[in-house]
Amino acid sequence: MSPLLAVSNLTVSLPASGGYADVVRSSSFTIGEDDTLGIVGESGSGKSMTALAIMGLLPRGGRATGSVKFDGTEILGMADRDLRHLRGAVMSMIFQDPLSSLNPYYTVGLQIEEAYLAHRGGSRKAAHKLAAEAMAEVGIPDPAVRARHYPHQFSGGQRQRIMIAMALICEPKLLIADEPTTALDVTVQAQVLKLLARLQAQTGMGLLFITHDLAVISQVARRVVVMRDGEQLEYVTTEEAFCSPRHAYTRSLLEAIPRIDDALTEAP
Amino acid sequence: MLRYLAIRLLSGAGILVAICFVTFAIFFWLSPDPAVAVCGKTCTAARIEEIRHALGLGQPFLTQFWDFLRGIFAGRTYGSGADLVHCPAPCLGYSFQTSQNVWEMITQRLPVSATIAIGAALLWVLAGIVLGVISGVRENSWWDRGSLLLTLGGASIPSFVLALALQYLLVVVLQVLPFPQGVSFTADPQLWFESYLMPWVVLATGYAALYARLTRANVIDTLQENFMRTARAKGLGPVLILRRHALRPALTPITTIFGMDFAWLLGGALIVETVFGMNGLGLMTEQAIQKNDQPVIMAVTLLAAFFVVIGNLVVDILYTYLDPRVRIAAR
Repeated sequence: MSPLLAVSNLTVSLPASGGYADVVRSSSFTIGEDDTLGIVGESGSGKSMTALAIMGLLPRGGRATGSVKFDGTEILGMADRDLRHLRGAVMSMIFQDPLSSLNPYYTVGLQIEEAYLAHRGGSRKAAHKLAAEAMAEVGIPDPAVRARHYPHQFSGGQRQRIMIAMALICEPKLLIADEPTTALDVTVQAQVLKLLARLQAQTGMGLLFITHDLAVISQVARRVVVMRDGEQLEYVTTEEAFCSPRHAYTRSLLEAIPRIDDALTEAP
Repeated sequence: MLRYLAIRLLSGAGILVAICFVTFAIFFWLSPDPAVAVCGKTCTAARIEEIRHALGLGQPFLTQFWDFLRGIFAGRTYGSGADLVHCPAPCLGYSFQTSQNVWEMITQRLPVSATIAIGAALLWVLAGIVLGVISGVRENSWWDRGSLLLTLGGASIPSFVLALALQYLLVVVLQVLPFPQGVSFTADPQLWFESYLMPWVVLATGYAALYARLTRANVIDTLQENFMRTARAKGLGPVLILRRHALRPALTPITTIFGMDFAWLLGGALIVETVFGMNGLGLMTEQAIQKNDQPVIMAVTLLAAFFVVIGNLVVDILYTYLDPRVRIAAR
């Protein structure tokens, strides 16, 4: 049986001065059902571009070569009108900055329900009810009222919960989370991670979790891809990455994690 | 909301009084003696003195200003005896040069200016936005470049040049349009339309070019917003994405500028009206300036300011409905 998502030799290039520049080179990995893969790397390492290439959402002029198979079907190079029916339906994505990722002019209820209507159709009323239920599911209190509110009326953590509700309204098989907790406070970060873990356990979806924070990876992912400058340095289990990092860069990332005993030993 | 409205109306009234005051002061100290202008060619020193007295020009500044303000609400009379002229409220002044009540002069000509402004506004909003949206969506395409060139031309060509060129071409050479006439819609709808067509097009051209550029820039900015990526990630179709997610954020800021531009034009489109000889507020203003007919200039200035203040208020209220972020803050 083929894995849920199989990426092989994915190379992404973006237009740069005088031609194209590769931002991801020959990346390969797989994600199964109920499986979590982490991609870790610093800004500009190509981790977000990898995700956008999978979703077919590369910036204008972006090119992707190689192979991305979803449920055994090649989706790289698929026409946008075909890919559109997969996006939000069987694979969804949430982003780093939930405030700017939500349209300020529309209620969050509408923005969740339109994701449902785009794929499943039916009445606005039914979709609106589902949107409120989805908001309850991600832990927004008083969802029937809150669905009529606008993005700026929510806290950062709630906005990301709303993004999650929107991404999961059609019960996709794969969720790509691009730095979903980076913009949040540490306590809120933990809540959102727990929420994602619970939803994954309920639905059995595959999760591609992108972050620059190895500490977060250790909490969510079973396997991890380490990237730098578009290069895939390691593709190992999280345990291996932490206990026996092969690459010097992975070791330096590990050393960058602040540790509580550092503070203890160095404090006067 | 009511409280907000009350505050805005009060401050609007304050601005109008301030504009009144400044305009009045400018005329009081800087312009030549209006009595001389009224007196005309066969003038004697005694006659000038009479006129000065009739107009209250001998009074101190503040008294004159107060008389003017009071006249707006209570009406006033000029002169005495055989020369007595009554100007009922709302009295914006009396033009002795044309022997007409300024308020009546304005109300006769406002429909012409309003017709020109409304027609042109419809044209330029439609043309500007359509052109701008297409350019913005197809950035750097041939469409976009063509429209940029077109808007550059539209924005650069002086309206009197365009007006004269159109008039020469359409009226004189091709004879497809009559020379514009101040005919009312009810009297002859076809002639009405044909008369106003050139003024509309000429007035709309510059604005359309400006609005096309503005719309283009706003659309390009909006398309780069993160929420556009979210809309695509949800699997929405391109038409829905453009119509719902891009256009509203892109077009809402244009409301502000439109309110100002349109309100300003209600005070008369000076060049277009003059070139086409349309008897609106613009032409009236042009004639008043040439003859230094101060009550008329004063009244037109005030009227234009009034429209801009009201236009601004309308836009701000409208904005609370168009942009939810403003809506919550205003309440």
